[in-house]
Amino acid sequence: MIVPFGHVLVVFGIIFGLGVFCAVVRRNLIMIVLGIEIMLNAASIAFVGAALRWQNLEGQTFVLFILAVAATEVSVGLAVIVYAFRQTGSFDPNNFNLLR
Amino acid sequence: MTFYGFLFYVISAAVIGSTAIAITRRNMVHAVVYLVVSFFGTAMLFYLFGAPFLAALEVIIYAGAIMVLFLFVVMMIRVESPGEVMFPLSQWLPAALFGLIYLAVAVVMIFRTSGTQVPLSALTASPGQFALYVFEHHWFSIEVISTLLLLALVGALHLGLGRRKNRVEEEI
Amino acid sequence: MVGSGSDPAAIMILSLATMLPFVAFLVILIFTRKRPELSAGISIGAVAVSLVCSFVLLGLNLKMTVPVQYSVRMLASSGFDIPFGFLLDHLNVLMLVIVAVICFLVQVYSLGYMAGDPGFARYYAFMSLFAWAMLNLSVSPTILQLYIFWELVGLSSYLLIGFWYEKFSATQAGKKAFVMTRAGDVAFFIGFLILFLHTGNLNILDLNGQAASAISPAVLTLSALLIFGGIVGKSAQFPLLTWLPDAMEGPTPVSALLHSATMVAAGVYLFARLFPFFSMSQTAMSVFLAIGTVSMLLASTMAMVSRDIKKVWAFSTISQLGYMIMALGAGGYFAGFFHLTTHAGFKALLFLCSGVFIHRYGTNDVYELGRLGSRRMLVPTVSIVLAAAALSGFPPLSGYFSKEAIIGTLAQLPNPVWLVAGLAGVFLTAYYAFRMIFILLLPRPAQSSGKFGPPPEAATLSPAGGPAAPSAPGAVSHGSDHGEAGHESQYLAMALPLIILATITVVLGFFETPIKDFLEAGIMAGAPSEEGASAWSHGAALCLAAIGVALAWFEFGRRGAKQIGFVERMPLLYGLFAERWYIDRFYGLLVSRVIDKGISFLCYQNDNKVIDRSIDELCRTTVDGGRIVAFLQSGMIQYRLLVIFAVMVLLAVYFFFPII
Repeated sequence: MIVPFGHVLVVFGIIFGLGVFCAVVRRNLIMIVLGIEIMLNAASIAFVGAALRWQNLEGQTFVLFILAVAATEVSVGLAVIVYAFRQTGSFDPNNFNLLR
Repeated sequence: MTFYGFLFYVISAAVIGSTAIAITRRNMVHAVVYLVVSFFGTAMLFYLFGAPFLAALEVIIYAGAIMVLFLFVVMMIRVESPGEVMFPLSQWLPAALFGLIYLAVAVVMIFRTSGTQVPLSALTASPGQFALYVFEHHWFSIEVISTLLLLALVGALHLGLGRRKNRVEEEI
Repeated sequence: MVGSGSDPAAIMILSLATMLPFVAFLVILIFTRKRPELSAGISIGAVAVSLVCSFVLLGLNLKMTVPVQYSVRMLASSGFDIPFGFLLDHLNVLMLVIVAVICFLVQVYSLGYMAGDPGFARYYAFMSLFAWAMLNLSVSPTILQLYIFWELVGLSSYLLIGFWYEKFSATQAGKKAFVMTRAGDVAFFIGFLILFLHTGNLNILDLNGQAASAISPAVLTLSALLIFGGIVGKSAQFPLLTWLPDAMEGPTPVSALLHSATMVAAGVYLFARLFPFFSMSQTAMSVFLAIGTVSMLLASTMAMVSRDIKKVWAFSTISQLGYMIMALGAGGYFAGFFHLTTHAGFKALLFLCSGVFIHRYGTNDVYELGRLGSRRMLVPTVSIVLAAAALSGFPPLSGYFSKEAIIGTLAQLPNPVWLVAGLAGVFLTAYYAFRMIFILLLPRPAQSSGKFGPPPEAATLSPAGGPAAPSAPGAVSHGSDHGEAGHESQYLAMALPLIILATITVVLGFFETPIKDFLEAGIMAGAPSEEGASAWSHGAALCLAAIGVALAWFEFGRRGAKQIGFVERMPLLYGLFAERWYIDRFYGLLVSRVIDKGISFLCYQNDNKVIDRSIDELCRTTVDGGRIVAFLQSGMIQYRLLVIFAVMVLLAVYFFFPII
């Protein structure tokens, strides 16, 4: 009796949209990765809500995996960003737009 | 509207609000901090939806490790250039447009499907029950995840320590 | 084989006559360039053989009834074949003799005239080339072969006009001659192509006979007019007449050979050759008559005011060729061709005599030549008077007979305007010829130039004969610098042909009847007989000639005359005639405005803007296209993320559309 499941999905949609917006609009490599984190977070919310809706623990399990993958991806991604920053001296994705 | 429902709306509003503020900050430290607030809200949502273990994990791993990692990187790297261009028109206009379309479509979709009108019940899964389920059904995935983490470790180490080798190897 | 059986002796003689000069040309060019006397010997020997052969052929064929043609199939394709070979016919044999005689005499003359010139061997090589081409032209059985040799004759003319190639004016003149005759030849080519398309046959005998009656009159007239275009070019008729005066830049023997007696006569020869064909179209014949008349009158007026002796004879050549074409156009086959024969004789004589004077005194200006004492040289003086008298048509010289024949033909035409024009021409001819004679032989001391200023040809007075000009090639100069011994032998070499030609001029007229019978036996179409010509026209012609001479005497010859002609007293006419009726100006304007600024400018623009630009644009498009495609690969990553998300949204909309 908390809320209809649709409302959870709407919340998920909004946060996901914000994550996409951050990834696409901010001219900063770190913000792109941040946007990805936001998206993953929104997905976790959706999964947990779904687990409650169908009363199945699969959803919560998957959130565990999402957490692990997010951690992995952030560490490697930030290492790459730091490396790229050392090469070119800026975080602007415009500097990384030519295939070489 | 039950009390839980009211709680849900408030926490959701907080999460959405702080995320929105986070993505519009020029100072990256501010952005990360606002995002940490957002993750705290998410943890509370998890607890509301009956996943206390996950709520704890969210705070420890997401807000605690990942965001701290972000803070380390942001604070260690000094950017001398004038900083980023905030919200160039060519980027945020299409993004906003498509975002709105997406939202509209999603809302319509959600409220037309009958399956989404089902109210959520207030249940909870204790950590013991959760762990039992995970290791019973998905123990192999856990092993794979651990290997993945190992990979991440190796990769990060290699990329970070690459400077010590001679110059030729740096030309990747 | 066509005609009266194959006569191996005749064939051999004919081949020898026509091919030997070509062999001489090759030998001289390849082997004996450094040995001038040997080259001259080879060339003169070859032409002498041709001369003997042509006389033998004339003797053999005096009683010929049917033309002999010996040919091999050369160009053969389905439906047609064009043979190459020889044609022996009354007309051909006569032409062969004329060409061979004049070639031989001029080459002997050149021994004296060109002695010491560094290009002596080259000169004789080109002379042999010309002899070969002209002889073959005379015996061609098909129009195609005739055209080939026509072009070769034009080539040798170009080579010989620009013989002293260090002189810019000579090369310009050679180029001009070649281009103008070429323009006529294009019309000629189109003309006989049309004929070929319609009849499938270029054989001259067939064309004169039944083949031409198969095509429609319109096509006949058209092709006749176009072929006449070639004649206009080669024989320097109006409007392509300005190249001939400029062609006097070549050595005088060249002018005597090519540009008076033989090459320019090739046009008239072609007319006579195709006379039955042309006379099938009355329109064409009228046009030819008109063009001949115009050229004749125009050139006579130009000759009246010129100071350069060679140019006067050049204008005279144009005028006399006009006469020949008038005669042929009026239907007088014999008259036209007989005039060609006699004209070859006395015009060559005129040129060669002038050449002796030019060689001796080093200037072309007739006033100068007179003052320097030309009349002291006996043989040239007598010869030039004889030749001028023949030109004016005084009896009993050969020119009288041929001119009377022409006037007789003109008198038979229904329209009297042609006869009037012919008679006017007689008057003008006598006037300008004897003007030259009197200025030359009865000089006045140099006086102030009067009210007319220096004549317009002063700029070209640096002797076109070449000898004493500072830019003349080589250090050897002609004129009076030679030692007496060499001078004497040169003089002899030059005098001998003069004597022979003078004799011919005097005597040839009496052969009129035999030649006429011979020629008219050969022609199948009936030529109008000149028997019925009224006597008054003959008398009128003689009177007018006498009046012309008298006027010339009055103005130039008698003691106390100022030597200024009546035309020269009228500045308007004088300017018009001296500027050659502004035809040259017109051509110059045409070339520079239409061709240079118009057509070549358009071509240049086309080359730059269209062709180059299109290739550049093609490359640029490729490069830009590549750049666009490259954009898909590189570029800011966030744009691509955006695209990903947008596509996801759209896909979602698409897939879930039924639910909405």
